[in-house]
Amino acid sequence: MSAPGSTRRRPRGRERNRALWFWTFVGPFVAGLALFTYVPLAWSVYLSLFDAHNTVSPTDFVGLDNYTAMLGDPAFRSSLVTFAVFTAFIVPATYALSLGLALAVNRLRFAQAFFRSVFFLPSACSYVVAAMVWKLSVFNGVRFGLANTVLGWFGAEPVAWLASTDPPWYWLVIVTVRLWLQAGFYMVLFLAGLQRVPVRLYEAAALDGARPGWQTFRHITFPALRATSVAVVLLLVVGAFQAFDEFYNLLSDSRGYPPYARPPLVYLYYTALGQGQDLGLGSAGAVILALIIAVVTVVQSRVSGLGRKEE
Amino acid sequence: MPAKTERTAPVRTADDALVRAGRALRLVLLIALAALFLIPFYLLVRNGLASEEEITSAGWTFFPSRPHWSNVRELFADPDVPMAHALLNSSLIAVATTAGTLLLASLAGYGLARIPYRHANAVFYAVLGTLMVPAAVTFVPSFVLVSSLGWVSTLRGLIVPTLFSAFACFVFRQYFLGFPRELEDAAQVDGLGYWRTYWRVVVPNSRPVFAAVGTIVFIGAWNSFLWPLVIGQGRSSWTAQVALSTFTTAQTINLHELFVAATASIIPLLLVFLLLQRYIVAGVERSGIDD
Amino acid sequence: MPISRRQLMAGGAGLALTGALGSACGSHTGRGGGGSSGPRLSQWYHQYGEAGTRQAVIRYAAAYKEADVRIEWRPGNYDQQTAAALLTSSGPDVFEASGPTLDQIQGGQVVDLTDLVKDVKDDFSQVVLAPKTHDGRVWGIPQLVDTQLLYYRKSMLRDAGVRPPGSLDELIDAARKLSTGKVKGLFLGNDGGASALDGTPLYAAGLGLVTDGGEVGFDDPAAARTLGKLHRLYADKSLLLGAPTDWADPGAFLQGLTAMQWSGLWALPRIRKELGDDFGVLPFPPDGPSGRPAVPVGAWTAAVSARSEHREAAKAFVKWLWIDRTDHQEDFALSYGFHVPARNSLAAKADRLKTGPAAEVVRFTKEYGGAAQPLLWTPPSRTVYQDALNRVIKGGADPEAELRAVVRKAGAELRRVRKRA
Repeated sequence: MSAPGSTRRRPRGRERNRALWFWTFVGPFVAGLALFTYVPLAWSVYLSLFDAHNTVSPTDFVGLDNYTAMLGDPAFRSSLVTFAVFTAFIVPATYALSLGLALAVNRLRFAQAFFRSVFFLPSACSYVVAAMVWKLSVFNGVRFGLANTVLGWFGAEPVAWLASTDPPWYWLVIVTVRLWLQAGFYMVLFLAGLQRVPVRLYEAAALDGARPGWQTFRHITFPALRATSVAVVLLLVVGAFQAFDEFYNLLSDSRGYPPYARPPLVYLYYTALGQGQDLGLGSAGAVILALIIAVVTVVQSRVSGLGRKEE
Repeated sequence: MPAKTERTAPVRTADDALVRAGRALRLVLLIALAALFLIPFYLLVRNGLASEEEITSAGWTFFPSRPHWSNVRELFADPDVPMAHALLNSSLIAVATTAGTLLLASLAGYGLARIPYRHANAVFYAVLGTLMVPAAVTFVPSFVLVSSLGWVSTLRGLIVPTLFSAFACFVFRQYFLGFPRELEDAAQVDGLGYWRTYWRVVVPNSRPVFAAVGTIVFIGAWNSFLWPLVIGQGRSSWTAQVALSTFTTAQTINLHELFVAATASIIPLLLVFLLLQRYIVAGVERSGIDD
Repeated sequence: MPISRRQLMAGGAGLALTGALGSACGSHTGRGGGGSSGPRLSQWYHQYGEAGTRQAVIRYAAAYKEADVRIEWRPGNYDQQTAAALLTSSGPDVFEASGPTLDQIQGGQVVDLTDLVKDVKDDFSQVVLAPKTHDGRVWGIPQLVDTQLLYYRKSMLRDAGVRPPGSLDELIDAARKLSTGKVKGLFLGNDGGASALDGTPLYAAGLGLVTDGGEVGFDDPAAARTLGKLHRLYADKSLLLGAPTDWADPGAFLQGLTAMQWSGLWALPRIRKELGDDFGVLPFPPDGPSGRPAVPVGAWTAAVSARSEHREAAKAFVKWLWIDRTDHQEDFALSYGFHVPARNSLAAKADRLKTGPAAEVVRFTKEYGGAAQPLLWTPPSRTVYQDALNRVIKGGADPEAELRAVVRKAGAELRRVRKRA
């Protein structure tokens, strides 16, 4: 936080004046955030300590029972594993694809804007629309799905992409939706990063005899993109934690959700918002999840040094 | 795999032919990828203009033999799904959310970046912390809160709770940290306070970042689903995404109408996107979203 | 396949236009007729797939003069939405429910409707009224009876030389023989059957989800034997998976993607219209020595929110529509989708249920019908059971071990709700 001068002695009045201006600028935002984020958050923590079936003003205090029940629930634990697997897939995949796209597009001498637009365009689509196209048109399990049509040209049997657990084809569907939706956005972040790499670095490298291509990438471009990489990975991990829309729209049916590919948010949604409406248990799960996310994010930003640059 | 484009470039030799071959290969790869990326859009249009029989027929038709423009008429005349009104709602909500978010978040971002205050750090971390809390985690209490304000099924309820974007605030703060101090100093010398400096000097010089954040917020608002589904309980407050979901969750699925509706729901956004794209790119470059 | 809407379009262009204009102007299209006075009531329905249903319920509401009833037609995950809305006072006054659930009843979220039905209680189909009754009080008025059943294509079975299956083993055999490359033998829903079948195989084995005494109903080796057989359907690749429409919709059956499909009586008019006589109906076939055909029966019910500001008016409206106005009830059950009316007296009168496959369904519903969802079978139990069933069917998991875990969890859940009572 750059607040030079704040440690120096200042006349009292000036400091008060600043505080006043600070809150004029920041106050409305913070007040709204407090009301619409912190109040519900505190309420969730409160609910998690009660037996709150179908009520938001419970009276039956149960201490940490909901927490032990949630941690002891194999379905919740397996949802955490699902999440870990998903993150392990999606973060490196999106990172590699968007960086690759950026590098390729950046070097284009013509039609650069066209390719950039094509890859960026999906970022405008919603998960609802994308999941719909994937589920009903690309990866539906019958003969008129695009993927199965292509398989059919090679004489293969139709595959029930979302329904078959052996092999777990549904991961292909889930991961490709998100890749399609997100790669373009992160590509733009990388493109922006690439613009900032000083040309003289490349010139110097060329003088030192570095060959264009892999060596230059390895020793010049990649290190120069470090800040961008850190931010992209952080955004990707936070995004993966919040995964809900595509899972829900791809795999839920009118009666519920299958026991596989069920990330924590989806499981909690059914626990707390379904007919079961066990708000105490659901809130406990949400608090556990929020803690995990917080720890991971803090550790990650410490390790990668996010924000160090600001000092 | 696209990361390989870099690797497959000929690095072993400076031979011109090889370099050119590498470039050609990269171009082919890019074209192939671009085609893959466009497939979903193609499917939206193809299915939207096909008859139900063509969509579900065993043999693949690349494009409907005769485009069924009547699908479009059918969609907008469907008494069960007020699509036109839903699109209008989505537009209203997206515009209002974008304007409100830009105002609130940019002010807050500037205050956090530039006004020295003892507790600024604490406030900043309190804002940043909410980035980590998935909305679904606090979903039920939020719903109860909004409903106790009497905002269910109102545009207020759909818009106001979503105006306080920690992400937007974070981006603005990062951007303003890098804003050239000389400009502000000059203004301060001229006797302008924070408020007037902000509006007269800072905002006019920051258009790209506003465009970039604005577009991201607009897309998010247009595409949000869960909140409008639960808050917008009356048909008169359905958004485009909610209207779309009525096709998929019904007992029967009307594929051609569904795809027309999906296409209709993304066209406005694609237009905004294509028009503002260069601002987004420029904005991202200058905003430090990626720093 | 969704001819429904297009037909409607052709038939009622004027109506369609009015609807579109009405909503375009942001007015409530579900507004009750002019001239009705009294309080404003909000009535919720889940989105029915059959064309005309929405117009019908608007018509009923408009005919009611004691209150200004507005219809909310709710798309999407209906149970989730009502559950959330019942926490607030901005929810519905009167709402359609697949429950109400035991927790909603015990939590005081719905109003006791016992006195509304007291004179006609015996006229209701007991199998659907029972799951709406707790401690002798009635919490929801059944609007209709939804029967689930197995449809099969006569011609496809004939061509494959297969007889309509009379036992679970025959069903599994038939499904295998009927599967030929692009046409599958059987469709039990896109998840392989866990959510559509639910407790049905247990009933077929002569067991149940919950015993009359309120204990877990499948703590029995026969349960594991029967559920284990279902994996063969998946292993034989006889099951249609990943169809664009799910089991409740006859789409996959009508498109010729499958020779047999588990669905409901509601789909019968569409199937008859497209296939003529080329289809037959069956209950879920029995399994094992104590097995019997299983016919799961459910009901959408009308319930009144305890948060309603006009509880008495809401109750009066429910009584008017779902008790007194038998003409509306008959129209609602028979004119759009196809359902058995919830009142025995109406069911007996319904001509359309007296012939052909519909009559057959009515017959085996009467003979074998059992509640698809007993009141004590709460959502947590259902989730853990369906998860297990899914793993057994698709993953080939050991049914005994899976069921042991379910019995433990569901047993604890049953003890919880009994304690609360």
